[in-house]
Amino acid sequence: MRAANLIIMCLFIFLFLAKAKTVQAQTDNSAFKNEEPTLTKKQKRKQVPKYYGISFGINRSKFRDFATSPLFYIGTSNQIALSRLKMGNNRETELSLSYDFGSYSANFNETTTFSNVKRVVLNYSQLYRVGLLNSVGINTKVGFLINGSGNLRINGSLQNNALGVDIFVNAMGAIKITKDISRRVVKEKKFLFWRYKLNEKKRNLAFRLNLGLINSSYRNGYVYNGQSEILNDPKSFDDYEFEIFSGIRASTSLDYTRYLKNKNAFQFSYIWDAYATSGAVEKFEMAHHTFRLSLLFNTNNR
Amino acid sequence: MLYKSNYIILFLIVIFALSSCEKAFFEKEFSTTDPFDNFEYLWKECDEKYAYFEVKNIDWDAVKVAYAAKLYKGMSQDSLFSVLGGMLTELRDDHTNLVSDFNISSFGVRYLGQDNFDWRIIIDNYITKDFYRTGPFSHNFLDNGEIGYIRFPSFTGAINATNINFVLDRYKDTKGLIFDLRENGGGAVSDVFSILSILVDVNTLVNYSRIKNGPGHNDFSEPAPVYVAGHGGTPYTKNIKVLIDRGTYSAGSFTALATKALDNVVLIGDTTGGGLGVPNGGQLPNGWTYRFSITQALTLDKSPEFENGVPPDIPVLFDWNDVTKDEILERAITELQ
Repeated sequence: MRAANLIIMCLFIFLFLAKAKTVQAQTDNSAFKNEEPTLTKKQKRKQVPKYYGISFGINRSKFRDFATSPLFYIGTSNQIALSRLKMGNNRETELSLSYDFGSYSANFNETTTFSNVKRVVLNYSQLYRVGLLNSVGINTKVGFLINGSGNLRINGSLQNNALGVDIFVNAMGAIKITKDISRRVVKEKKFLFWRYKLNEKKRNLAFRLNLGLINSSYRNGYVYNGQSEILNDPKSFDDYEFEIFSGIRASTSLDYTRYLKNKNAFQFSYIWDAYATSGAVEKFEMAHHTFRLSLLFNTNNR
Repeated sequence: MLYKSNYIILFLIVIFALSSCEKAFFEKEFSTTDPFDNFEYLWKECDEKYAYFEVKNIDWDAVKVAYAAKLYKGMSQDSLFSVLGGMLTELRDDHTNLVSDFNISSFGVRYLGQDNFDWRIIIDNYITKDFYRTGPFSHNFLDNGEIGYIRFPSFTGAINATNINFVLDRYKDTKGLIFDLRENGGGAVSDVFSILSILVDVNTLVNYSRIKNGPGHNDFSEPAPVYVAGHGGTPYTKNIKVLIDRGTYSAGSFTALATKALDNVVLIGDTTGGGLGVPNGGQLPNGWTYRFSITQALTLDKSPEFENGVPPDIPVLFDWNDVTKDEILERAITELQ
């Protein structure tokens, strides 16, 4: 009930916190091009639309940790995320923090075991426009994404290995292609006997691909469990090992963004994220499919 | 120009492509009920991670040959459980179990020795039913108030400073304490150090520990020292007799092992059950779970031999011909008088 109230409150603020009634869309290439020659760098930076975002998502995912089980654990988790975005035509930055929580299970041979998973992900990315890959209505940017993820897994059936904490840090190359699919003119339509009008809409569709270049992990050591407790010196990351080059990671997102007259925006996203470790200790594999609604609050009236 | 339907198609293509693509990140499916696969998986996990093959003189390859011969295609779940559970029982370790929804395998080390404890006999003949219960401790005076008796049946992780200070204060004027750990199957290791902390005033080295760090039977980390720190108050320096038996296991055995480093503590009774390896936990390809020991506790001279049981300083067994007397407790009283 609390979560529902929070979502309703965010929607209310989002829809009625109008700042200005006239909008030139944020990623309108033509408009930006007109302004460009007359502005200094500092002015340009100020022209870049800035947003605070709050997101709610459903995450269907699965994982397998060979250190404790060869079975896949599959489940659905809820996601909430906060983000800070600067979405200019030439440069785009995003800082986001998300939190997932849910229950996963392995159901096989009439045996069901459960793992409660909490996941925190911190992302920072910068993207820069690439001239060669652009055309009218299409904006292509390339850059990087730094990703830090932490999973906390509790599976009572694994007894002394019930608690698992994994930390992954990835430096990823990124490419994002944004297609402007705005409706620029009002259209009159007719369906059977019903006439209706389609108003101007500013919207875009973006596809983003991130590929891991440096994939690091901080995970349990050879036998998973540590011995600090029996040494009378309990440690949080007992017998953990850091591997700087460990495995692979890739993620994509498909975003549909609809801008409002008050310069805020809705964003519907489908995000796919998969990673696997390698190296001396046994492999960990995880993949997420997240459907997410984001409310983007414009903070500089651009 | 793309139409709405095209965007939907594009979206579905992306989801389908990514779902297929993620298979490249994952190894093949390993879930199986095949008895040979599950047997091989469990045998290999133990082979590479179990800590006490050498100490217990276990020929794990020979165990494999013996138990693999019992496998056959189409065997029932119950039969497979008997084979896998039987194989784990060869490790002679109660920190080793196979767990399914219909059975749990265990070795039962306490049954290697005779029963040496009856709580009713102690209440009826020694501490009376008016004994105190302070946290996890049951206690009272013995021998006309000259000796304090403390029964500690399980390491629940619930010991706190109030419990300890009350018990110490109540028996401060006695000649000594009897601390009864018989049939204590273990539990939270934090309690071990809470108890030992009342016996020392400075950091005291009590034993070493090492953990498996490779697939070889002798691949271990360097022995790490285990220190006990004082509890902050005045340590208890009078004589303490700790009562042990085959049912004293895991954290109970850790306590017994550590007391070997303390001059004012004497172990009386039967050899403990061992259980000095911290167990892990895992799952088989058929969904059953298991655990086994992955560390070794070492004595001050860095021997792991006490996994076979911490021996008493004064061996005494219970005589069941006379159920009005607890011979082990009687011996402890005599030693303190």
